[in-house]
Amino acid sequence: MRTPDDHAGGDPDAEYCSTCAEASGTLKPYDEVVQANADYLVREQGVDLHAARTMARALLASMPAWQGRR
Amino acid sequence: MAPQSTTTQRTLQREATRRRLVAAGLRVVAKEGFAGASTAAIARATGKAHGTVFLHFRTRDALVAELVAEVGRAMSNRLAELEREAPTLADVLDAHLRALADHEVLYARVLCEATTLPAAARAQVFALQSGIASRLRRAHARARAQGEVRDIGSVALANIWISLTNHYLMNRDLFAPGASVISKCGGALKAQLLELIRP
Repeated sequence: MRTPDDHAGGDPDAEYCSTCAEASGTLKPYDEVVQANADYLVREQGVDLHAARTMARALLASMPAWQGRR
Repeated sequence: MAPQSTTTQRTLQREATRRRLVAAGLRVVAKEGFAGASTAAIARATGKAHGTVFLHFRTRDALVAELVAEVGRAMSNRLAELEREAPTLADVLDAHLRALADHEVLYARVLCEATTLPAAARAQVFALQSGIASRLRRAHARARAQGEVRDIGSVALANIWISLTNHYLMNRDLFAPGASVISKCGGALKAQLLELIRP
C-alpha cells in the first residue's frame, strides 16, 4: 500500500487495504473480496469469470489476512 | 521471558534472513529459471542450511509465489511513480517500459514459465497486468474525450499492449540477442500501439 487511499477508510494506520476492508478497518466477507478481485481481472483483461475467481482465491491465500481460506 | 531488545533483535535477524532468501532466490531464478530454483539451490546461494528456507516459507510454492510477488511489487512501484498526475497514454507506456526494462530478465523468466508456476504466482502476474491495463484504460478514456485517439475496447487495448510486450520479452534472445529487448525495441512497440489507435 503506497498512499493513504490504498488503506481501508483512507486511514494510513489501517491494517488492511481498501479492497479487503470496510472504511471502519474491519475485513469484508471473504466471498465479497474474492468477487471484487475477480471482477477486476475480468474488467481489465477479459479473463473468464470462473478462472478469475480461481486466481482471486489463490492471490488472497498468499496474503496474511486470508491465509488458510480457499 | 527474553528481554524485549533480544526479541527485537531476533525479529530483525529473522526479517534479514527472509530478505536474503528472497534476494538469493531472485538471483537463482535469473540464472536458472524457476525450474532450476530448488529450495536447496536457494539455501546454498545464501550459505544457509536447507532447512532454513522452510522456517520462512512453508513450501517451495510459497517461496516461488513470494519471488514473483517481489518482482511484481518492484514493477508496481515503478508504475506508481506516475500516479501523482493524470498521465497520458504515452506516459503510461513509458512507465511500463521502464518497469519492464528494470526487471527484464526476471520478468521474462516469469512469463516463460507462467503456466507451470503455482496458482498464487500466476495470479500475481495477472494482478500486475491488470494494474497496467487499468492505467491504460483511464489514460485512453482521457485521450478519447479529447478526440486524440480512436475508440477501441479497453480490454482489447490492454491485451494488445500486454501481448506485444510479453511476446518480445519471451523471445528476447531472438529480438535482441545479448541485449535488453526493451531498450532495443520498446520505443518501436510504443509507436506501433499509438499508431494503431490514431484517429
